[in-house]
Amino acid sequence: MIQTFKTSYQLKNTYRTNGIIYSLKSIPLIKKLLPADLYASKGLQTFALVVSSIYEAISVFVGKFLYLLLMIYLPLSFMQKLESANFIHIVLVLTVLGGMFHADPLSSSKDKYYAIILMRMNAKKYTISNYIYFLIKLVVGFLPFIFLFGKQCGIDMVLCLLVLVFIIEVKLSFGGYHLFNRLRENRLKGTKLVVASSIIGLCLLVAAYLSVYLGYVLPIGCLYLLCALGVFTSVIGIRYMCGYSRYREAYKALFFEEGLMQTNVQSTGKITQKNMQNKIQLSADQTSSKEGYGYFNELFMKRHSRLLTKSAIRYTVCILIVFVAAVITILVSADMKKKINESMFVVLPTFLFVMYFVNRGKVITEAMFMNCDHSMLTYRFYRQPSVILRLFITRLKMVIRINLIPASVIAVGLPILLFLSGGTDHVLNYFLLFGTIIAMSVFFSVHNMVLYYLLQPYNINIEMKNPTYTIINSITYFICYLASGKEIPTVVFGTLVIVFCVVYVIVAMVLAYRLAPKTFRLRQ
Amino acid sequence: MRLRVEGIKKQFENKEVLKGASFTFEQGKIYGLIGRNGAGKTTFFNCLNEDILVDEGSYVLEDNGVTRPLQAEDLGYVLSTPVVPEFLTAREFLKFFLDINKNRLKDTKSIDEYLEFMKIKEEDRDKLLKDYSHGMKNKVQMLVNFIANPMVLLLDEPLTSFDVIVADEMKRLLREMKNDHIIIFSTHIMELALDLCDEIVILNEGILTEIPKQNLDNTQYKDRIINALKGEENDSDI
Repeated sequence: MIQTFKTSYQLKNTYRTNGIIYSLKSIPLIKKLLPADLYASKGLQTFALVVSSIYEAISVFVGKFLYLLLMIYLPLSFMQKLESANFIHIVLVLTVLGGMFHADPLSSSKDKYYAIILMRMNAKKYTISNYIYFLIKLVVGFLPFIFLFGKQCGIDMVLCLLVLVFIIEVKLSFGGYHLFNRLRENRLKGTKLVVASSIIGLCLLVAAYLSVYLGYVLPIGCLYLLCALGVFTSVIGIRYMCGYSRYREAYKALFFEEGLMQTNVQSTGKITQKNMQNKIQLSADQTSSKEGYGYFNELFMKRHSRLLTKSAIRYTVCILIVFVAAVITILVSADMKKKINESMFVVLPTFLFVMYFVNRGKVITEAMFMNCDHSMLTYRFYRQPSVILRLFITRLKMVIRINLIPASVIAVGLPILLFLSGGTDHVLNYFLLFGTIIAMSVFFSVHNMVLYYLLQPYNINIEMKNPTYTIINSITYFICYLASGKEIPTVVFGTLVIVFCVVYVIVAMVLAYRLAPKTFRLRQ
Repeated sequence: MRLRVEGIKKQFENKEVLKGASFTFEQGKIYGLIGRNGAGKTTFFNCLNEDILVDEGSYVLEDNGVTRPLQAEDLGYVLSTPVVPEFLTAREFLKFFLDINKNRLKDTKSIDEYLEFMKIKEEDRDKLLKDYSHGMKNKVQMLVNFIANPMVLLLDEPLTSFDVIVADEMKRLLREMKNDHIIIFSTHIMELALDLCDEIVILNEGILTEIPKQNLDNTQYKDRIINALKGEENDSDI
């Protein structure tokens, strides 16, 4: 058993460390500094092992700490109900919830697939030893923080220990139950499972917090009772887990469900691609009178309209509803009217974040790659610089057009709101509101397309994303996030954004024209 | 017309896959490219197709002593895993392909004639290519390469996914085409190579070498190829 655990742990570690090394290798600059036989380098292996061990150690503690802090301590202190009975009540209910959703001895991951299916490790020993490890981590991780937060609520050490015992008992009992449930024919699956678990989850959350708020909590005595009961159920759970003989079968079923089972050497990338391809719609009215690349692109658009135009229209409808609601508010409440009027002069930074989300550019480029470029780029005629640039421009126009549908509603809506809520002495504000939103929309469209053409986020197996692309995307998100909620005068922000967008678009287009013929190819 | 490959080198990190591969492929012949797993056959094809850039070396077309670079339209490449635009139907893909090549192609036929020729059934022609089987996709990919009629045709393990009837058709077709083309055909199946190809070229240790048949019978020839692949070729043995 210990040997099995050691092997499985090493495997998980190797998988994780190689993942770290692979990501390091994909970053330009750093790539050049690293030796080619990286994976075999002893020093680097040790380094990655240390990183991965630190990660493991942190994951033991951080999760438990955050759980107790965010789910129990903070809500209680907000309600000003830091009392022992309340603390224990929430822990009890949430533990049951955790038992339902986070106690399954079987879970799917790539390293488990390798261990159990490809390396044919003993599935039973694998599961049980890893479950024991999971429980040990649970005890070690919870112990200090249960004492810490328990003490804040005036719970003595014995009760704290008892809470921990209860947590373990619940995991053991539910562990057995999950296993029992795994291969049953008539267990809930798919949407039904999601609906049922959402309802149960919601009920338990209400039971946890609302009852504390209203002052109806379980008496502390319940903990003793439940712990005693837990002894029986966990013995049943343990016996079931130890006696269970269909681990391998259960894992196979799970891997199939999760799409990890590689019957035809299918990578997860291939599965993502398949899902994307299922979004292609074919209907008889999808024709095009154009020729050549125009024909090609128009059909692409039409076959993906649900993903592209229709979703933009859905956004637009939502925006219109918000707009109408705002207009009604202005007409009804004088107080709100004033507030809306004031906000119109400072609200633009938040709209940077809104425009980031409304933009469909990323989904569109994803569809372009998975359903079109991934195959077409293998044809040499498709990689001719003239073809790449022509298609780039056609596509860019299309993306800008699609994104302008919701953007134009916002761009027109904001000046109207400004006008209705009392207007302004400076006419420039109307134009700035309009212009900035349009500029942002064009900016995001160009940004996404240029990044796609210059950095090619996917490789030929549609596997790992290009880290440079990921980094730039995170930075973009981060900047938009930081901007939201900031109150910067429209005159300043609007002017800056418009100037920035114009400069950015020019630079990006020049770069794309210069570099795209070289960079727009399948990454090996 | 000849395809002259000279001293192609390609290295991936520390691994040298092609170590100065040189060979001259001539029009009118089907070349069987044989190599062990990982020998670099696909890398060699990818280099010619400019999917990846070579580190060193060149490849040019030579016509009556005049050389010129290998252009996109000179080369067709049928991959072992067929790739076709999934969002189009077979008919639409062909229309698109004929459109963009209409200035270059002579004597084109109708789309249905082409599909008929490839034995793609009437009821499948308006289905999305994403729903085609592996073999059917391969047929479509092969078809556009035939229509484009490039001087050099690279085929990477192409016949393995066809059923026996279509595979036989393809072989016949390749034999018919060969007079006007340079066809390089990579395969792991020795019998197929011996049956179809006029010359056998092996890729071993990053170098291309022709294995002349001379006057050997098939069994002796096979042994010779295998010995060469093992790196034990010795003419005096035969």
